[in-house]
Amino acid sequence: MKQSAKLNTVNKWWQYETTASQKWFQFGLKDLYYNRGLILRFTRRDLLASYQQTVIGPFWIFLQPLLTALVYLIVFGRFAKMPTDGIPPILFYLAGSTIWSFFFDSLNGTMYTFISNTHIFNKVYFPRLVVPMSIILTQAVRLGIQLVLFALIYVFYYFIFHTASPSKILLLLPLLVLLTAGFAFGLGLLISIITAKYRDLDNILQFFLRLFMFATPVVYPASIIPDKYQALFWLNPLTPIIETFRAAFVENGKIPYYPLAIAGIEIFFLISLGLLLFKKRELDVMDSI
Amino acid sequence: MRELVLKAENISKYYRLGLIGSSSLKQDLQNLFVKSRDGLTVEDPQHIWALKDVDFELHAGEVIGIVGRNGSGKSTLLKILSRIARPTTGSVRWKGKISSLLEIGTGFHAELTGRENIFLNGQILGLSNAEVKTRFDEIVAFSGIERFLDTPVKRYSSGMYVRLAFSVAAHLRSDILIIDEVLAVGDIEFQLKCIAKMKEISRLDGKAILFVSHDMQTIRNLCTTGIYLEKGRIKLIGDPPKAIAGYLNLDTQLSKHTYSSPHEAPGNSYIKIKRAELENSTIIHFEFWYTAEGNENLSIGIMLYNDLGQCVFDLASAPTRMENGLIKGACTLPENFLNEGQYVLSIAFIGDQSKLLFDFADCLNFNVQDNGKNLRWYGKRVGIVRPEFPIQLLNIDRDGAI
Repeated sequence: MKQSAKLNTVNKWWQYETTASQKWFQFGLKDLYYNRGLILRFTRRDLLASYQQTVIGPFWIFLQPLLTALVYLIVFGRFAKMPTDGIPPILFYLAGSTIWSFFFDSLNGTMYTFISNTHIFNKVYFPRLVVPMSIILTQAVRLGIQLVLFALIYVFYYFIFHTASPSKILLLLPLLVLLTAGFAFGLGLLISIITAKYRDLDNILQFFLRLFMFATPVVYPASIIPDKYQALFWLNPLTPIIETFRAAFVENGKIPYYPLAIAGIEIFFLISLGLLLFKKRELDVMDSI
Repeated sequence: MRELVLKAENISKYYRLGLIGSSSLKQDLQNLFVKSRDGLTVEDPQHIWALKDVDFELHAGEVIGIVGRNGSGKSTLLKILSRIARPTTGSVRWKGKISSLLEIGTGFHAELTGRENIFLNGQILGLSNAEVKTRFDEIVAFSGIERFLDTPVKRYSSGMYVRLAFSVAAHLRSDILIIDEVLAVGDIEFQLKCIAKMKEISRLDGKAILFVSHDMQTIRNLCTTGIYLEKGRIKLIGDPPKAIAGYLNLDTQLSKHTYSSPHEAPGNSYIKIKRAELENSTIIHFEFWYTAEGNENLSIGIMLYNDLGQCVFDLASAPTRMENGLIKGACTLPENFLNEGQYVLSIAFIGDQSKLLFDFADCLNFNVQDNGKNLRWYGKRVGIVRPEFPIQLLNIDRDGAI
């Protein structure tokens, strides 16, 4: 453990120490590595428990994004007549809503790390980072399953309608998933610490989170945004992520390199800040819950 | 000398009372300002030192039992040792692995099966997946619920649930075990099994255990050292019987307090005790000087504890408007009501049913000897009280042989 480093010079005997405050920049990575099994165990618990006593069980994982995409297709495609940049509408909406719901569910889980685990956190010690990490992993498993569905629908389109030929951009998919997960993780850590203390902020955040979906190209393409707002619009890390994913299904799709790089930098800072604050405050916030 | 495994130095914990959790940003900014100016030295009435300057050492193979009343800081101490909360000052240093059982079955998921929950709970308590696997059969055998292993735990009876949860806990092999009053659940047979397990862990495996209990019998049987906590401080540390006696205040028989003037009497600006006396172990007499702030209603609370530290009753008088000055009161306990044993009582003075004016804590103690002389039964009976409610017998059919 890192805490022991300084201790060794004081007294070789002791291995661990708890004192009045956590020092900055101590992430307890060794402790976290030791608890890697617990991350998997929590993920398993959440996946097993969420579809207990439901009739169609894990099929909900398929059905949710499909139903969402259909609703978007009807409301935004048929009624509002939003363009889809030449991508078959169902693929267009499915791509947007799959990435968005991965982000939304991950963030909505991690931001309540303390509030929904108060009981366990008041009784047992383990590195608290185990919880948000397992939440992201759970959502990643669900995303994996949803991407299989996406692939099936895509294959169907490709062979029946011969549209939307795949491009090399598809190889970027793991990176896109990683960026989305990182965005939700960093933001979630930050919010979890703040809402644990100031509970009323939670309602405002929920409201902004819903608004944020409309600032993200989920139900419309980035191309409909007026020129003067384009720069601001692309600062949202999810914009280049979703646009890149969609670009994989049009001929001559372009990767938005710049915005993607900026998103990477933003996410890196968000994770760093989130981790820093989380590790500093993970035990102290429990006194105020 | 056995190996030293844990050392707590000077630990204190400062808590804010009242509106915990619902702090507003504004309030916090104000606090920040006050804190930066005055530090923690201000004695804010909304704050409390839950622990103050606690020092002790724990060695391998040692079992420390902690006794103390509710609110004496036991739970806070266990939380700090378990790394759930931080001390406000001081430090805890240790070597090896600490596992804490502040509750059994932490993290159990009702929808999952017993099998899944063994792994889940075991890993939450700090075992690795492989460790749970190797101990799995042992855990299941100890719990005695083999048949229900694949049933969701929400279908378990509370007894089965406790057995399963405790079985997982009993198979932890950490260097230091921190246990809250988890033995107080489950049936007697299972409790004895657990105590035997704890003995085995400390004596044979040489692990250190620190635990809290209200059951003095267990403390006496199991511990090598006793700590008596009072109001966040260590009042006594040493042989378990000594700590227990200190806790129960049994060293000195206290059956009378009298003070001639308010200046020397215990109390505060509201209440000054003139007299508290016990007559024949049945009548509690008390007199006090009363100074009300306004038009408060006064009520008196009497709490009686037995020698296991259990609260036998908590009486409260009806709130009444009283004039300032000397007030006299009495309370008569019925005869043939208390079981044999030692008792300690506290008298509390409450204003408007909510404000504690003064707590004359543990002021009187007494001994009840068997007075059921007309019964053909000798020795102490079980039960917290031993009332003599009449049981009537009546022949209703003389010829109705079975």
